[in-house]
Amino acid sequence: MDIKPDFEGRFRRVVNHQEADRVPLCEVLIDYSIQSQFLGREVSADDVEAQVEFWAGAGYDFIPIPVSMMTPGGVTDESKITRILREKVQRERPDEKDPKAWNLEFTSFIHEREDFEEFPWDAAAELDFSNLNRAGGLLPDGMKAIVVSGKIFTLTWMLMGFQNFSIKVIMDPQFVADVFRKVAEIQFSALETILARDYVGAVWVVDDLAFGTGPMISPEAFREHVFSWYAKMADRCHEENRLFIMHSDGDVTSLMPDIIETGIDLLQPIDPTCMDIVKMKKEYGDRISLVGNVSNELLRSGTVEEVKEYTRHLLREVAPGGGYCVGSGNSVPDWAKFENYMAMRDTTLKHGSYPITI
Amino acid sequence: MSDTLQVIKDAVVNRQRNEIEGLVEAAIEGGIDPKTIIDDGLIAAMDVVGQQFSDSDIFVPEMLVSALTMKLGLEKVKPLLKREATEPKGMVIMGTVKGDIHDIGKNIVLMMLEGAGFEVVDLGVDLTVEKLVERIEAIGPDLLGLSALLTTSMPEMERVIQELGTKSFRNKLKVMVGGAPVSASFAEKIGADGYGADAAEAVKLARRLIDEIKD
Repeated sequence: MDIKPDFEGRFRRVVNHQEADRVPLCEVLIDYSIQSQFLGREVSADDVEAQVEFWAGAGYDFIPIPVSMMTPGGVTDESKITRILREKVQRERPDEKDPKAWNLEFTSFIHEREDFEEFPWDAAAELDFSNLNRAGGLLPDGMKAIVVSGKIFTLTWMLMGFQNFSIKVIMDPQFVADVFRKVAEIQFSALETILARDYVGAVWVVDDLAFGTGPMISPEAFREHVFSWYAKMADRCHEENRLFIMHSDGDVTSLMPDIIETGIDLLQPIDPTCMDIVKMKKEYGDRISLVGNVSNELLRSGTVEEVKEYTRHLLREVAPGGGYCVGSGNSVPDWAKFENYMAMRDTTLKHGSYPITI
Repeated sequence: MSDTLQVIKDAVVNRQRNEIEGLVEAAIEGGIDPKTIIDDGLIAAMDVVGQQFSDSDIFVPEMLVSALTMKLGLEKVKPLLKREATEPKGMVIMGTVKGDIHDIGKNIVLMMLEGAGFEVVDLGVDLTVEKLVERIEAIGPDLLGLSALLTTSMPEMERVIQELGTKSFRNKLKVMVGGAPVSASFAEKIGADGYGADAAEAVKLARRLIDEIKD
């Protein structure tokens, strides 16, 4: 089985609903501890060279590189926005040392119009392209970078606080629209810089839109405040011949018509706790490609044989005809068993050759 | 139901925050018993809202604004209640278990329980079992609600329930669990008294558990 990266010939081909040499592997995030175990040496956030070596060596056709205010996974520890918020808090309260004071998991900042006006948007808009630039010079033949961007919805409600955000969506939609616009414009302005790099193959927006029971806000509100921005981003990506990928946790079934209309090429991770990927493929597989669905709980507590069996099930039921990449049900965190991650990967490499015959 | 109560109910369901206080005042002036306004107008409205939420006809923002509307109405009528009529349906304390700092779901459930007439105490997030036991002993609630978003914090729910099993107050306390990765079978397996898939189910469950306590 060929593990050499082939973004155009394998990944893009499969995302375009065609079969290639094999089913691609696809993740938005794999914890550095898993990457370290794979390579047998330490991989860190700053060591882009080791990261490229991992993603290429493990059989991926791309490396995901965050260029955004909020980093997936390390939402609050590693994110640009956290540094901005810490500076803001310590400017106002120099003695404040408690990290919870600037951690968006614990607090929020934009409650009223004056908070919005006073927010340090200019500082927040200075996105860091250094890891992307470094990766660009390290990619082996056939490999591309996928820029992880977005979090328009998540960052907006986190800045506003979920309860305040929810109430304002109903009672002051213009205020909410203004915050959304500011967050989205920052992400959108970065897009031109991203698309100017020919080694970028796709843009991946990571934005949780749903609970396990369904959308966090109404489809109408998503259409008005969120999908309109994603449609613009998708259009720019497609104009530049790049793919546009989306991640959302939760059950997004009722949002599928909007997600497809927005122009998203590939949807990840088809949360296995609340969505049936076989049904999704049957219903929407001709209009959007799917990634993931290997449950994180299975990766944490399952046996190697159970992971292999579920991966074979996905290859058998979802992969034929293209339009599906194997991956986790969210991301591969540090608490996933390494042998289970390897079982998912190895099963894909062993049984994922087209045509699927298992 | 009288037209006046129906109008109050509709105002909560339709999130008419600016109108609700005037409607409740008019009902009081019209001689409707304050407890009837609460039970058949305000709380009944939140049952409708909960069902709409379960059916995905409305979403969290709409539900929260209905709950705020209900609260505005409640504030108008509460001072008029006779002492015995102010007894809450039951007392619920709720928190997110250790290792988990997510609180959106917990906060929504608390708001809906409050809307349903329960007295609620929010214990916050990342709660150690020791802290929980201390608060239960200090407050003496009827129900304990445990929330988790992360798969990795689910085992902590089991640990909490095991620890509570060693305490004398356990037979007077019902434990309900919820959160994205939690299921009815998991709840049963760890010895919880019930599981709610969403806020509306949690309210129904809390009512059932309170009835069991009274029986």
